[in-house]
Amino acid sequence: MSVAAVDGPGGADPLDRVPVLSMRGISKSFGKVQALTDIHLDIFPGEVVAIVGDNGAGKSTLVKILAGVHPADAGEIEFERAPVAIPDPTASRALGIATVFQDLALCDNLDVVANLFLGREITRTALDEEEMEREAWALLRQLSARIPSVRVPIAALSGGQRQTVAIARSLIGDPRVVILDEPTAALGVAQTAEVLNLIERLRERGHGVVLISHNMADVQAVADRIVVLRLGRNNGDFLAADVGYEDIIAAITGATEHARPMPEPVYPAPRRIGPVA
Amino acid sequence: MADQRRTPGSQTSLREANRGRIVDAVKKHGGLTQVELAGATGLSPATVSNIVKELSESGVLSTSKSMRSGRRAQYVTLAHASGLVCGIHFSQRHLRVALADATLTVVSEHEMPLARDHRSDNEIRRVGMLLSDMLDTVSAERDELLAVGVAVSAPMDAASGMVARPGILRGWEGIAIADAVERALRVPVLVDNSSNLSAFAEHRLGALRGQDDAMFLEVSDGIGAGIIMGGRGYRGASGSAGEFGHMVIVENGPLCRCGNLGCLEAIAGGDAILGSLKNRYPGLKLGDVIVRAMAGDDACIRAIADAGTHIGVAAANVASMFDPIRMVVGGHLARAGELLLGPIRQVVDRSLASRLAPAPEIVAGQLGPRAALMGALGIAADRSSTFPVVSVSPDLRTALG
Repeated sequence: MSVAAVDGPGGADPLDRVPVLSMRGISKSFGKVQALTDIHLDIFPGEVVAIVGDNGAGKSTLVKILAGVHPADAGEIEFERAPVAIPDPTASRALGIATVFQDLALCDNLDVVANLFLGREITRTALDEEEMEREAWALLRQLSARIPSVRVPIAALSGGQRQTVAIARSLIGDPRVVILDEPTAALGVAQTAEVLNLIERLRERGHGVVLISHNMADVQAVADRIVVLRLGRNNGDFLAADVGYEDIIAAITGATEHARPMPEPVYPAPRRIGPVA
Repeated sequence: MADQRRTPGSQTSLREANRGRIVDAVKKHGGLTQVELAGATGLSPATVSNIVKELSESGVLSTSKSMRSGRRAQYVTLAHASGLVCGIHFSQRHLRVALADATLTVVSEHEMPLARDHRSDNEIRRVGMLLSDMLDTVSAERDELLAVGVAVSAPMDAASGMVARPGILRGWEGIAIADAVERALRVPVLVDNSSNLSAFAEHRLGALRGQDDAMFLEVSDGIGAGIIMGGRGYRGASGSAGEFGHMVIVENGPLCRCGNLGCLEAIAGGDAILGSLKNRYPGLKLGDVIVRAMAGDDACIRAIADAGTHIGVAAANVASMFDPIRMVVGGHLARAGELLLGPIRQVVDRSLASRLAPAPEIVAGQLGPRAALMGALGIAADRSSTFPVVSVSPDLRTALG
């Protein structure tokens, strides 16, 4: 049983899009619990892929495999068509995969600049605070972030601003793929708006974005492709433009089975109508 | 920040620039404490304190006491003595909300992407929460909000206050939008079509100033138009005039989402443009097409030019009907600039070449994608200044809308 991505069953992409990251036949078990079985996932640059599924569907395990927290038991991971192994988080980072976890993992007592460059400080003879501050502002401005000051401790920021800092931190080193685990789960409306705009910015910058979320409204607002997991298996890979809310819920709950590859519908070329001139 | 900090010239110009910087920072964040202002502007706390004092005496800013990290702080917002109005724009894939004072100076603004076929009840609830948040950031009370203007990207029926045509904004069909929003926000609400409001805003603040017979063409995912006749918006008998995108330009042409065949929108709307590029670039969004076209991608340039040509055909028909002096093109796709405007202009000029009067000017809007939002703020501000008493009967409201 295998599920090909939207590029069709042949494996060769007729459109010559090269996935920046692809997972083939990934399986993972924790003791007797089979968390993931034969998972396939492709991520293209400049694309937002939402991974949705019920609790225990394996979304977080999948992300942790990409982040290098758990190694996969079986299956292959290709990064830009080259087979790679991700044994630990350092390897994941080195490949260009940045992960923002649900708890953000920021240091509350340090200011924004210190958090952004933690472990990657710019140094000449001493710390080059000025350069780091300049880069921090440049990065935050690119993300149109509303942060009042980069010299306030993280503890003084709102939830949305913290999420912004966490996302900005993941972008240092210019990763190819950014993974966001439940970025809007603990946020208010205004902050959710900020984060959704931020995801659009990431997409425009050409990053591949993996979004894990339970909120279907958020998913449908920003995702290009929606991958459904159910009980540790692929249960559908939809283009967001073509599916409604109900289709996704049906796939999540198992009311519909999409375990077979979905053939790409062949659209006839649109009739061009010339100007009436 | 580096180039913002370079301020040449005299003491006075320096002080002027610093004032501007502080006002800009307050505008951008809605409200800030003085310490945060110092951080955001790069000015010293003493300078910030002086300038804030000066500007609050002259009535530009207002300050209130607040707490930050357990310390007392001065919270600085833009002054809004004469009350606030709110503008909301619901389009197919986007939500914009802004708070402004009576002079239409925006004090707080938010935007976010929406799901395709989003549901009205969810979004109205979301706007309610967002609005409370925004009132908090500018430290305003709920009762300072005088009126709300809502722009909806679908034709509106004046009598019922509902979306007049099915299939266009699916989550919003069959509800009286003004009433529903009013129930949630508990302030008087005015609703109008987004193209009408964009035309209104461009007429008052933008590219149609002083032009009393003109049109606004909105080209986004959908296509619409707002008509200004004799200096006033023209709405037609049922209120849904200006359905430019649903003019049939090819008989028995492709199926439109409104159910009709051969509408302009089915041929030149956002989905049609993406559809024509689907074989070459799957998964693009309209914004990506514009970016690629501007970077010189021939297929995307061609797709936008094709859309422009078709829009030009329809615009030429409308122009010979209404004889506007100027047609302003706005909406999402107008960001493509001359790539879109050029083909429209070419077709319109050619179709009207034999006329004695010159063909209408085709220009880009000045307010950009915020035109409808500014229009919504505009009707809300007009409403609150004409009728300072809050209770107005529903029929009067319909008459105004």
